[in-house]
Amino acid sequence: MSLSPLSVNRVIENYTPPSGVYDEFLEDERRPRPHTQRFLEAIDKIGRDEFVHRWQQARRTMQANDFAYSGYVTPEDTPRPWELDAIPLLLSPPEWKRVSAALEQRARLLNLTLRDLFGEQSLLKNGVLPPELVFAHPGFLRPLHGQSPPQDCYLHFYAADLARAPDGDWWVLADRTEAPSGLGYALENRVVTSRMLPDVFRKCQVERLAPFFIAANETLRSLAPRHRENPRVVLLSHGPTSPNFFEDAYLARYLGYTLVEGGDLAVRQNQVMLKTLGGLLPVDVILRRQNSSDCDPLELGSKSGLGVAGLTQAVRCGNVGLANPLGSGLIESVAFMAFMPRLCQSLLGEELLMPGVASWWCGQPQGLAHVLKNLDQLIVQPAFRDRGKDGPTRELLASMSKDQLAEAIQAAPHKFAAQERVVRSSVPIWNQQLRPAHLALRAYAVAAGDSYSIMHGALARTSQSLDPLEISIRRGEGSKDAWVLAEGPVEHVTLLAEQEHAITLRRSSSELPSRAADNIFWLGRQMERAEAVARLLRSTASRLTGETRSTSDLEVPMLLRCLADLGQIEPGYAISDMRGQLPAIEQVLPAAVFDATQPASLRAILDELFRLGSIVRDRISLDTWRIIHVIDEGFRPGFGGVATLMDLLATTDELITELAAFSGIIVESMTRTQAYRFMELGRRIERSLQIIGLVKNCFIPLPETLGPVFETVLEVADSLMTYRSRYLANMQLSAVLDLLLTDETNPRSLVFQLVQLAEHVEQLPRQETQPGYTTEQRVAMSLLNSVRLLEIQKVAETHSLGDYEPLERLAENWESQLPKLSEAISHRYLVHSAPSHQLADMSPQ
Amino acid sequence: MKYRITHTTKYTYSEAVPVCHNLVHLKPRDTPAQTCEYYRLLILPDQSKVSERLDYFGNTAAYFAIDQAHHGLSVTATSRVSVAVAKNADTGTTLAWEEVQNRLRTDRSAEVLDAYQFVFDSPYVERFEALADYVRPSFEAGRPILEGVLELTARIHDDFKYDPRATTVHTPIHEVFEQRHGVCQDFAHLQIGCLRSIGLAARYVSGYLRTEPPEGKPRLVGADASHAWLEVYCGDAGWIGVDPTNNLRAATDHITLAWGRDYNDVCPIQGTIVGGGERKMTVSVDVAPGEE
Repeated sequence: MSLSPLSVNRVIENYTPPSGVYDEFLEDERRPRPHTQRFLEAIDKIGRDEFVHRWQQARRTMQANDFAYSGYVTPEDTPRPWELDAIPLLLSPPEWKRVSAALEQRARLLNLTLRDLFGEQSLLKNGVLPPELVFAHPGFLRPLHGQSPPQDCYLHFYAADLARAPDGDWWVLADRTEAPSGLGYALENRVVTSRMLPDVFRKCQVERLAPFFIAANETLRSLAPRHRENPRVVLLSHGPTSPNFFEDAYLARYLGYTLVEGGDLAVRQNQVMLKTLGGLLPVDVILRRQNSSDCDPLELGSKSGLGVAGLTQAVRCGNVGLANPLGSGLIESVAFMAFMPRLCQSLLGEELLMPGVASWWCGQPQGLAHVLKNLDQLIVQPAFRDRGKDGPTRELLASMSKDQLAEAIQAAPHKFAAQERVVRSSVPIWNQQLRPAHLALRAYAVAAGDSYSIMHGALARTSQSLDPLEISIRRGEGSKDAWVLAEGPVEHVTLLAEQEHAITLRRSSSELPSRAADNIFWLGRQMERAEAVARLLRSTASRLTGETRSTSDLEVPMLLRCLADLGQIEPGYAISDMRGQLPAIEQVLPAAVFDATQPASLRAILDELFRLGSIVRDRISLDTWRIIHVIDEGFRPGFGGVATLMDLLATTDELITELAAFSGIIVESMTRTQAYRFMELGRRIERSLQIIGLVKNCFIPLPETLGPVFETVLEVADSLMTYRSRYLANMQLSAVLDLLLTDETNPRSLVFQLVQLAEHVEQLPRQETQPGYTTEQRVAMSLLNSVRLLEIQKVAETHSLGDYEPLERLAENWESQLPKLSEAISHRYLVHSAPSHQLADMSPQ
Repeated sequence: MKYRITHTTKYTYSEAVPVCHNLVHLKPRDTPAQTCEYYRLLILPDQSKVSERLDYFGNTAAYFAIDQAHHGLSVTATSRVSVAVAKNADTGTTLAWEEVQNRLRTDRSAEVLDAYQFVFDSPYVERFEALADYVRPSFEAGRPILEGVLELTARIHDDFKYDPRATTVHTPIHEVFEQRHGVCQDFAHLQIGCLRSIGLAARYVSGYLRTEPPEGKPRLVGADASHAWLEVYCGDAGWIGVDPTNNLRAATDHITLAWGRDYNDVCPIQGTIVGGGERKMTVSVDVAPGEE
């Protein structure tokens, strides 16, 4: 080991850290730091080829998992915000001990500061903090003053952004007190990295993240004003349009909490309630992920529509615990950083264990003077953080000249603060070989009694530039798992803590939020619609490419009629006289199908499927999610983005198989809870509509040559095999109609769908006191009966004689009843809440 | 002066409202010159559970929710208030405005600290460059603060046109400033912004004017609705109210409900409802002199 280190550690051999910075892996003379040696040896033992192979595999897993996308809106444009790197960051035990102590102190300090500012405000009276720092702060929400949160704790979750200066000391870059994000990423990074390097992970004795989440879970439960033994905890997310949504969903599932948005909650009698299919259920604790100012349209002035009217009052009444309490974001602003040493002396009587990056607030004359004099060296920032909304302001400030900055600051000094630039340490990242990047660390603390527990691990963030983090993250950053090394063997911990007392066994959970049920219902519908369209397209494409034994020229027009009916192609193609004037279908069809901007196109259906899937991610299994992901990835035109019929054939083939996997996993793995029922309701309603559409488009009017048409219809309806096994090649209308409509043994028949629908409707939660049947029960029964009582032979005979009316009327009736069923269900269970409005204000005169 | 006040706000909805949450500031607060002797809040549909608390500024804020379907809401506040003639600070002897400005910045006594919070921007009062230019002519160096304030009040009264149709509660002051018209709330916000631009403390007052003028006096503008004006911190002379809508110093004709940084802190009634379809609102205010 004392020999030339370069020949020992082959992986690190080609790595050259930049000069003038601290490197996390190499010390002087490029010798590996002692705590990294075990890791580097283990990596070398794996060998380069194997390492590359494992990394490729890990990346594939990541792709198929949750974190491939940060938001559903435009999946292609928004890659994972923090691209994971293969090499973890290593932190030695004594070092982490020091960092932990400093974070613990800082969390306590910030908590006391919040308590004072939302209470007595002695810090302002005694001159420890300049009053204008609070008075001019848009985040000082007056209605929250005087709230008394459980245990008088104002800060349950805290995160600090840290950086290491060239001398090796850690500095605090920023405090995060509103609702620190990134925990989900830290977890995911750990999952991926430890799976990729299980041997190395074991050998290095890495501290686990689970104890932190166990502590977090305990803290959250302790906030419950009642139901202490089994409180209802919800994670209040900003919703699917937020870049943090995936993380929210991931955390909710990991911690076992219900994922909700503002619209899922309501306040009744000063109690927060969750709107579920089974009615309103009391909520005890809210893990808050959205900004305080978005939480209550009545008192906190949120106009975002995300809030819960009356929440502030429920908090005042002590009926719900919030983590973090409302208003906690007040002190995560740069302006406060300037006063931390003084606050620490005043509130704790201690020196800060870890310094913050030198910061000045321009709202005070000394600060203003210093900033104006040193504009070259400093980074000017908004003094008061507007979480999630001030990115453009930061970009603007970064692009301004010195004179422009000075002018802006002087116009409204209290709105600006400035910080020194830290030359952050370097760390190797893997990109075919090891290259340096700059490191910042987001470390987490959670309240535990009077003190704080620090997560043994962190979200390590890497970037090429030394710009402030808020800016560099928008320009693409990397992240790493952070391994805090233990001094001895590490105990295995699991989040599924042993219950102290026996739990009551349950077979159902009524806690499906109405909004989630709505999304699941539509997920089911889109899935069936996708399959119906894919089957039509496959049959069409195979006939157009001449791959089939098609003998008649009737089928393609018929299929085109079906496709036009479903909005896949222009209606003109359904009319034979017009077809000649339109561009050749061979070119138009593939392009139209892959065109996501056409709202009804198969691609658009799949986009919607993906969007819905991502929103209900916390309610479906990881495997189900993977299938949705594969479907989304797979259904793309071939090389160059120009779609051909061959592409269409190949992709629809795959799609149909993948959709079969999807429905298979639902049937085989989804517990028969309400989520399952709503998925099924959606699927069955959609499939019924598709069957009826097919029958209508293909048999009314009845074509002249029946054989090939019947075969095509049966093929599209996935019933050809059954038919052949029963009737061989003898194609008869009555037999075809029976199979498609009235055969209860055929899972593709209309009656099969209606039987299922009636059963599911029967199982929906309802108030038992109401006599008689509900609307949805009645509609479902009447639909089922109308098909069961059908004399299909007679219908077929009449139809064959050219009297299309009976079948036409039947189809029309079904087509009008199914939407009624859908509406009745949605009215009772899904549309719980209309949007809320502010009562019209009238000016004083 | 004693007053009997009845303030009724009625909302009607074309469709049922299953639930509403409301926050009202309708109880006249006690001030050195004003005492609220009686106060009652009547809500229809009947709502017995009203939570009252003192808000951050010491006003009484009442919260209530109705969670039975209703087609209308009526809120009536009745009160009896006695307003004493305040000791009228002599305009010329008030402190120089710079002195007040300096005291606000440096004095950490409870009284001044309380005043200091009214120096900064608030949701409805965002200062802008032109505002400072507008205010400056009235505040020459060393001028007694009240002199400057009264002159500014008169200027706003003269330069701006009273027009109830020109603005809504959400019209920002820079728009009022550019278009030179508005209602009492706009003028109060505007003057508050002016004074804050030069580092003085000004707060928004929500209240009423007596409805029928004393004999021989003209009826004041804004007398049949809730009214708004402002108060300025004048150092030793304390808070002095001025009414730019009527170009007056607030005296016994002005009854204070609540004060805050701006309308947003103290609006008489605010609410959030679900559904409701078309909504209509009517307000009536009656401020009658009572027996002495």
